[in-house]
Amino acid sequence: MSRVLTVPLPSLRGSLTSSPIFRKCKPYLFLLPALLPLILFIFAPLVRSLYLSMLSWNMVSPNPEWVGFANYQELLTSEEFWKSTVNTLKYAGCLLVFLLVLPFITAYSVTRVPIRVQNFYKTALFVPHVLSLAVASAIFLWLFNPVVGVLNELLSLVNISAINWLSSPTWALFSVSLIVAWNTFGYHFIILLAGILAVPGEIVESARLEGMKRHLGLLRRIIIPLCGPTLLFVFIMTVVMGIQFAFVPVQMLTNGGPNQETTHLVFLTYQYGFQFFRSGLASATAILTFGLFLILIIVQALLLDRRVHYEN
Amino acid sequence: MRKMFCMLALGLGLIAGCSSGEVNSSTKSAQGEAFPEEAAAEDAVTIEYWHVNNEDWGGNAVKEIVQNFNESQDRIIVKETFQPGNYAGLLQNAQAAISGGHPPDVVQIGYNYISYVTENVPYVPIETLAAEDEKDPDFLSENYLENILDLGRPPGGDDIAGLPYGLSNPIFYINADLLAEAGWDPDHLPQTWDEVRSLSEMVRDKTGEYGLYIQEPPDSWAQYALVRSNGGHFLGEEDGKPVATLDMPEVIEVFDLMGDMVANGSALHMTWEEGIQAFTNGKVAMMMTTIGRRASIEEQSDFDLRSAVIPTFGDKERMVAAGGNALFTFSQDEEKQKAAWEFMKYLATPEAMQIWVEGTGYLPPVDGLAEDPDSLGPFFESNPLMQTASQQMEDVVPWINFPGENGIQAEQVLLDARDEILNGQPAEEVLKDANRKINEFIQ
Repeated sequence: MSRVLTVPLPSLRGSLTSSPIFRKCKPYLFLLPALLPLILFIFAPLVRSLYLSMLSWNMVSPNPEWVGFANYQELLTSEEFWKSTVNTLKYAGCLLVFLLVLPFITAYSVTRVPIRVQNFYKTALFVPHVLSLAVASAIFLWLFNPVVGVLNELLSLVNISAINWLSSPTWALFSVSLIVAWNTFGYHFIILLAGILAVPGEIVESARLEGMKRHLGLLRRIIIPLCGPTLLFVFIMTVVMGIQFAFVPVQMLTNGGPNQETTHLVFLTYQYGFQFFRSGLASATAILTFGLFLILIIVQALLLDRRVHYEN
Repeated sequence: MRKMFCMLALGLGLIAGCSSGEVNSSTKSAQGEAFPEEAAAEDAVTIEYWHVNNEDWGGNAVKEIVQNFNESQDRIIVKETFQPGNYAGLLQNAQAAISGGHPPDVVQIGYNYISYVTENVPYVPIETLAAEDEKDPDFLSENYLENILDLGRPPGGDDIAGLPYGLSNPIFYINADLLAEAGWDPDHLPQTWDEVRSLSEMVRDKTGEYGLYIQEPPDSWAQYALVRSNGGHFLGEEDGKPVATLDMPEVIEVFDLMGDMVANGSALHMTWEEGIQAFTNGKVAMMMTTIGRRASIEEQSDFDLRSAVIPTFGDKERMVAAGGNALFTFSQDEEKQKAAWEFMKYLATPEAMQIWVEGTGYLPPVDGLAEDPDSLGPFFESNPLMQTASQQMEDVVPWINFPGENGIQAEQVLLDARDEILNGQPAEEVLKDANRKINEFIQ
């Protein structure tokens, strides 16, 4: 009794793809695979953090208390937040020397030696990077020991009195930076070396012919400007990732001590959230840290990026 | 376009496949090999046991105990899960599980977290479970001394919240060779802190090494013992409200002593791991740390290693805080609560306790086991360091922590103050400042 459908169906596919709505959505559909993880894993947690930062909550209590901006107020008036901020800047300073300036100088020096020797340096300097930071921290725990550690033994040979590397307020932050630097130096060195080697030889040669004989001049006028993008990348990596890398030795060796001297904003966030179980305060710290890094990235975009020469 | 959707669907399918694979594998690893699930009766209750014991610290003992329990009956299946990050890490994960609606059933809670847990986390007091046990109504009073049961109570609380399980206390580890080299008779170990001070100076002057190291992990357990032994306290009460008492003269005296000894070079100030390294390398004559590190210290020391009870402040009574953990149940399901209680009772049996004590170095909380010739007696007799810790059990007091939801943060203030004093700041000034800050957190 059923009716036989005799009217031909319009091509569904054709009408769908030619509709103006589809045409408008099409680029976004292509973007979706990249956008979806970003939304799920970056932006949604960010918005959630913003919401959590307005609560007083230990993650378990069924009644989180809405406190508005009280967490931000507490943070901005607390000594430890400002100490952590200053420490974060100190870490950035230390790490920029250890992970940008020194690897760059080393990489440039290595380009001046014969290829065979170059290969040895590449391998030797990269080796520490294959170890995890946790292992590196455990190794340095022995090296730093004020009484039986190798570093103090070496210092005693030149009559320098023992340093309490991890427990002295003067040295602790430097020591933590040193662990991160030892572990990450090789990676940054290889990137910078690749950047320097990519500088066209004919430009260097013609600069020499034009009378630029000194290394300093060559570096300043030719190598550094042409390595701009690489240097910028390593700069950002050092500042953003270096602070996060510094979390591992802090958590394993100092727990932020002595007297909060090695705490930084990333560790403070962890400490509030997972040691003190104050997720509201932790989220507020995370948001403020995000703000600080956002400012840094904007400054970088406005100032540094303009001075960087991209070949393309 | 169709291709794109197919790819997307495939991709999502892969993600889903990966995640379900992960769940399966984690469940499998959580079960381990110790759970013959298929052998259990169909109506068996499955409970989760969360612990902090990794392979180097009694992890195998825990597995063996759980396996024995699972094989001994078919009504309850226990799944043991190791939680990294010690007691803080375990509590952090437990909080996440509770907020996700899957509370673990039997959980090791460090004594220093009892205040926090009882005030902030939903739990069932052990005393309630014991009272409901018709078969064994006097289990607690028959097996535990009153001062041990007190360790599982929150400060000022009436009910026993957790069942004391892991039990340690701090002892003095002694390098007898270094003491002899300094000219001190190692058979007459120091009895008071005055003697410790002069002996440490003697070691410094005669050998060039250090006299003393007091452990400095991220907690104030050792300092708490000293302060209590000197008649002081970190926490008091005023008009029914908790108040910090770091400004008590007895507390200041203790921190002054530590600060002075570090300043004059007779004692060491360094992180806990560094301190143990220095001691086992023969650079320190005396070290105050937990009996829980006995096994590794014994293994690494190649000198005449001895032990002593913690010295006293003159004639004052010695008090040491209990370290370790109590077992809590966070389960909200009545059947699981009963199963959790059954399992906890099994953990206190002599056979399970023997595996636990020998595997971890903890002391047995159950009364009489350490002396029992059929249980742990021979183990204690052959181990003088364990005897020292056991001897101190009568001096054990609960480790009281700062109350309230910010109690753990208040403890951090005390640790920062300790750092400042050991780095040369005047104790009185630092402690008064810390006292003010702690009061802001706990009131």
